[in-house]
Amino acid sequence: MSIQPVETAPEATTTIVSAERVEARAIGSRPMWLLWPSVLLLVVIIGIPLLIAIYISFLNLDQYTLKSWIQAPWVGLANYVTALTAGNVIGASALTSLGVSVGFSLLTTLFITPIGILAALTVNTQYRGRTFVRSLYLVPYVIPTFVTALVWRQMFLNGTGLVDRFLAGIHVANINTYWLLGPNSFWAMVIADTWASWAFIYIMVLAGLQSISHDHYEAADIDGANSWQKLTRVVLPQLRHILGLALLLSTLYHFNNFTLPFVLFGTPPPAQADVLPLNIYVSSFQLFNFGLGGAMAVITLIIMLIPGFMYIRALRLGEMTAS
Amino acid sequence: MSRHRNAQEILPPPVRIVVTVALAVLVLIPIAYTLLLSVTPDTEIGGANLLPSHWAFSNYLQMWSTVNLALGLTNSLIIAGFASVISVVLAVGAGYIITRFKFRGRRPYLYSLIGLQTVPQVMLLLPLFVLFASTQAALHLRIVGTYPAVVITYLTFALPFATWLMVSYLGSIPMDLEEAALCDGATRLQALWRVIVPLALPGMVVALVFAFLTGWNDVLFASVLTSPETRTLAVQLQAFSSAQEGGALPLYGQLMGAAVVSAVPVVILYMVFQRYLIGGLTAGGVKG
Repeated sequence: MSIQPVETAPEATTTIVSAERVEARAIGSRPMWLLWPSVLLLVVIIGIPLLIAIYISFLNLDQYTLKSWIQAPWVGLANYVTALTAGNVIGASALTSLGVSVGFSLLTTLFITPIGILAALTVNTQYRGRTFVRSLYLVPYVIPTFVTALVWRQMFLNGTGLVDRFLAGIHVANINTYWLLGPNSFWAMVIADTWASWAFIYIMVLAGLQSISHDHYEAADIDGANSWQKLTRVVLPQLRHILGLALLLSTLYHFNNFTLPFVLFGTPPPAQADVLPLNIYVSSFQLFNFGLGGAMAVITLIIMLIPGFMYIRALRLGEMTAS
Repeated sequence: MSRHRNAQEILPPPVRIVVTVALAVLVLIPIAYTLLLSVTPDTEIGGANLLPSHWAFSNYLQMWSTVNLALGLTNSLIIAGFASVISVVLAVGAGYIITRFKFRGRRPYLYSLIGLQTVPQVMLLLPLFVLFASTQAALHLRIVGTYPAVVITYLTFALPFATWLMVSYLGSIPMDLEEAALCDGATRLQALWRVIVPLALPGMVVALVFAFLTGWNDVLFASVLTSPETRTLAVQLQAFSSAQEGGALPLYGQLMGAAVVSAVPVVILYMVFQRYLIGGLTAGGVKG
């Protein structure tokens, strides 16, 4: 059974094993300096800025104190208190935004999962036109996010957008329903992101399906399993690992998605769609309250540590089974 | 038996066809709507009829002067191009060392590459902006709004991702070939340049395309760090879009035309390299 190129993570784990093997018979000098530029760059452009971001979150830093930010007044946890209690110009505190972000990332992942699995199942068998269908499925996913947002902005325009025209046509909603303002904006964001990102689950599931041995299906056939039993007893259990990884990555990606809500709603966004990255952006670069933005960013990072830790753990587990 | 039953088949053909058609329709509706709007005269958008009275292909000509699309395209090419080339060159070196040698800190380095993907980009933009802004105030040097400032920030996502891709790609290249070269007296560097790089070329292309596309698609960094002369296509369109709310006649037709023009090259690129790019798509869930 060949490993599909898609299985990048497990491939990398074999790397680790083989490097140790080759080390024993390595010849010649070790040109370690090849590694230094990238390590140095990562430290300078990511490591140090991360520490500075944490430092900023304890400062009262605005456009006036920016020039000499090191001497900006130290305010302790005040920014964190403000972030969690007070709202910004549009009335969403970091806590509200956190709720929006968690809801958005979990709901979107929940919606794209069954769509992605179903889509993968439609192209798992050979038939004429399958290559075309596979390409078609990828199109929404590969369209740049800012274009997706522009497109859905048109779709959701009140009164003239396709969504309102359709809903009014089937007498479900008023033609002048607002999607880019007010409570519906949350759903507009979820729908647009679901449209754009289900193919991620599809790609991951398809990769997983291709690694399932043909024998398993045949054994199920011989045992007289029907389609549903095949899906729930043969396919899904074997996809457990890759699907878990896909759900985790999808949640992470949606949580950090800035472009879609930013282009879809503009700034300031409606409070119901004021996701955390957007709130940080508005606080920092439009209200110039860098300290508050920093505090919210640190809060986001702490929350991201949970799925991030799970992700690294999942990969480490794969490594242990591989060796 | 009328038909060979495929054991891998889970969805019965009728169900499969219904699902495929439903998905295809859902995929195509917003795309078709965009294409339709892009050839609708601006005066007719929002009218009673969905279909325009005539096809306004002129939208595709006018938009170049309405927004300075040519400048945006050039800027996106320059910035994303530099960022992707720099990251791939550095990533090949780093990937080679990581896959060929055992050294202290190798595993933490690999894990930090993955861990970096969870860091919200806005969290890096904030301190980088503060650094750039305070440095330029202190040294009277222009940094914010220049190409290097944006290229550097693009490296924050392009470099870890390209390194991760190169690590998995170089790891799949067997050691035997370069060992043969080493036995013949080649130095490590010669082996890397003459043996590994030619073999790794497909992987490098994938990393390059991805790094390029993530730069092409960025709105966050570019919206803060570019000036009118360095504004990328994505930011130009975002600004153009939000300017349509004001009053007068919204130029939605031209806006959608510009959206089509910025999406089509990306979609074509993906379709051409589909087979190779899918592996990268799933590596870390970073999308282009």
